[in-house]
Amino acid sequence: MTHNPWIWVSAILTLGIFSFLYKENPFYRVCEHLFIGISNGYSITFVWHRVLMPTLINPVAHGEKLWLILIAIIGAFYFMYFIPQISWLVRIPIAIVLGYGAGASIPRGIDAAIVQQLRATIITRSTFLSVYNGIWSIVILFGVIATISYFFFSRERKGILKPLSYTGIVFIMIGFGASFGYTVMARVSLLIGRLTFLLRDWLGIIH
Amino acid sequence: MKVRLPLLLVLITGIFGALPFLIPHHVIQTADNEFRNSVLVIIGAFSLVLGVGSIIRHHMDKVRRKREHWGYSWVLLISLLITSIIGLFGGIDGNGSLPTHIGNFHFDIQTIFIRMEVPLGATMFSILAFFMSSAAYRSFKARSFEATLLLLTAFIVMFGSVPLSAYLIPKLPHFAEWILTVPSTAAKRGMGFGIALGGLATSLKIILGIERGWLGGTK
Amino acid sequence: MSIWEKLTKIDRRYIYLMLLLVVMIPIIVPFKLHPKPMPPVENLFNAIDAIPPEKALVISVDYSPDTEPELHPMTYALLRHAFARHKKVGILCISLLGLGLAQDALSTVTNEFNSVATTHADSIINGRDYVFWGWQTMPLVPILGMGENIAKVFPVDYYGNKTDTLPMMKKIKNYNNVALLVSIAGGESPFWYITYAQTSFGVRIGVGSTAVMATDFYPYINSGQVTGMMSGMKGGAEYEELVLTKLGIKGRRKATEAMSSQTAAHLWIMLTIVLGNIGYFALRRRKK
Repeated sequence: MTHNPWIWVSAILTLGIFSFLYKENPFYRVCEHLFIGISNGYSITFVWHRVLMPTLINPVAHGEKLWLILIAIIGAFYFMYFIPQISWLVRIPIAIVLGYGAGASIPRGIDAAIVQQLRATIITRSTFLSVYNGIWSIVILFGVIATISYFFFSRERKGILKPLSYTGIVFIMIGFGASFGYTVMARVSLLIGRLTFLLRDWLGIIH
Repeated sequence: MKVRLPLLLVLITGIFGALPFLIPHHVIQTADNEFRNSVLVIIGAFSLVLGVGSIIRHHMDKVRRKREHWGYSWVLLISLLITSIIGLFGGIDGNGSLPTHIGNFHFDIQTIFIRMEVPLGATMFSILAFFMSSAAYRSFKARSFEATLLLLTAFIVMFGSVPLSAYLIPKLPHFAEWILTVPSTAAKRGMGFGIALGGLATSLKIILGIERGWLGGTK
Repeated sequence: MSIWEKLTKIDRRYIYLMLLLVVMIPIIVPFKLHPKPMPPVENLFNAIDAIPPEKALVISVDYSPDTEPELHPMTYALLRHAFARHKKVGILCISLLGLGLAQDALSTVTNEFNSVATTHADSIINGRDYVFWGWQTMPLVPILGMGENIAKVFPVDYYGNKTDTLPMMKKIKNYNNVALLVSIAGGESPFWYITYAQTSFGVRIGVGSTAVMATDFYPYINSGQVTGMMSGMKGGAEYEELVLTKLGIKGRRKATEAMSSQTAAHLWIMLTIVLGNIGYFALRRRKK
């Protein structure tokens, strides 16, 4: 068993969170609140030292980029959220960030998620340079059309739409099944990580 | 003023956000870079106020009114304060004005993060493995053809993704990979088109002032 | 209560206990398994191997402690590969809580290399062989900004050095000098890199993804927008296997170590589902 006090702290906190499996208890609640407290303290540290200091405070203190003071005032409008009479001012920094983000995403999103994906779905002569590639590309094209048809609610499902949308369900179920299989892997991985820590680093049972 | 000014700003910055991709002129590119590296960075940094401030206010209020479990709020507030002091005055690499070690015992911000935050966060999500296994046992039933298909695919992917499968059924990992690269890809891509179009429509509605949920009310 | 009913009503505490044992026992008594690398992992490995000396590999550590056991081994494996092949490495974080994890991986792997280095040239040196740029507010800022000038996005690195004074940064100015960017992510950041960095600057993207998110990236592998990918702990183990077999680097391989427990847990979960189904169908037959 280790003599490193920090490993003991980590192990006790790990057990504290695990104790939730039995039922919610004070030990778990302390750990839960510690988690939020530390993560916020950590965030404050880096925002101050590595963002505000080099980008705002140092240049302004050296008399450079004085217009940044105006931006800082706009940023400080976030504080107004806590003053009900002028809380609407918080909308100004939010509008700037949200508007830019939305605007930047439109042309690039069309290119990345629609044009490039459509291009990869369309079958051309080069698709058949390899036979298997050609066959699987046809399956993908068919699967994409079938999946989209399942979400097409503007018309009643009859005629060709009925079998097509049903095939869509088949593809979707395979997709969800694959996702579930991988989700199991993800959750188990996290558990293995923590148990390995307890058995190896803390208890020293394995080397 | 309270509504129109933010809506006007969202329209202007929205157009400004899209322009550099469409017009690669150096004047627009330079303005865009300066806007991001200064304006967005500083406003983004201040946005922390909203998150941290809300948490502090909520827990201070809980303590003041002695609501249920108010004692734990002290744990949060004190840990937040101590971590901030160590980080702000002890420095990132432990070379600040505040000493962050007593002899060989270090308590700098990186040590606190690795020894406290990481175990707490990782364990919190690891317990999902237990809930997931219990839920899968209880509700994962082959009630219909579709459910059976889902179940079978999950089994193939689950078993195909562990190394043992390659020893027992050498083709299985490749079959699992084929499921992911062909039928699952088709389904994800089909759904992806819908998600992308939905996202684009929402962005457009925000810029044009049709979507106003972010204003938090219209007063 | 009949045996079939019992099969459908096993107490959750027993399910928990069994899962705990099934995961724990192979950690204590592991069985040796060598993961077989799949094409997406091999493609990623080959893409990193082919990075020319004048260009850099960028690793974006975009995960926080909640996915650390799954994704951290990938960062280790990528760093070992890059340093063993003397590739220049730039590291940044999209998630603020990724900073401490990136620093942890960097210090561990550089110590591994420097403890066996015999010359200054063999050593892995901050500023010369790698730069840890750190984190910047809002993902769009670094993702788009690095296309123009990395040093302007990160005026100081994680350690507080002025970024543009570091030797490596004399040659690595922006995405034009980046051969591949690998986003190791617990969330959607690889999509952001594809949407913003790739469409605007044509940078090649690799992905290290949690298994939960991995299936969402396959359409992008198919379209060529993603060069290669590691999916979950399995992907990490496959990459570790390549680093071991092709480069002979023998650091601790956390993902490979986990494969015994991973195998046992998958089999156990499959078994519980089968048991639940047997009980369910037997009861349904009886009712009929």
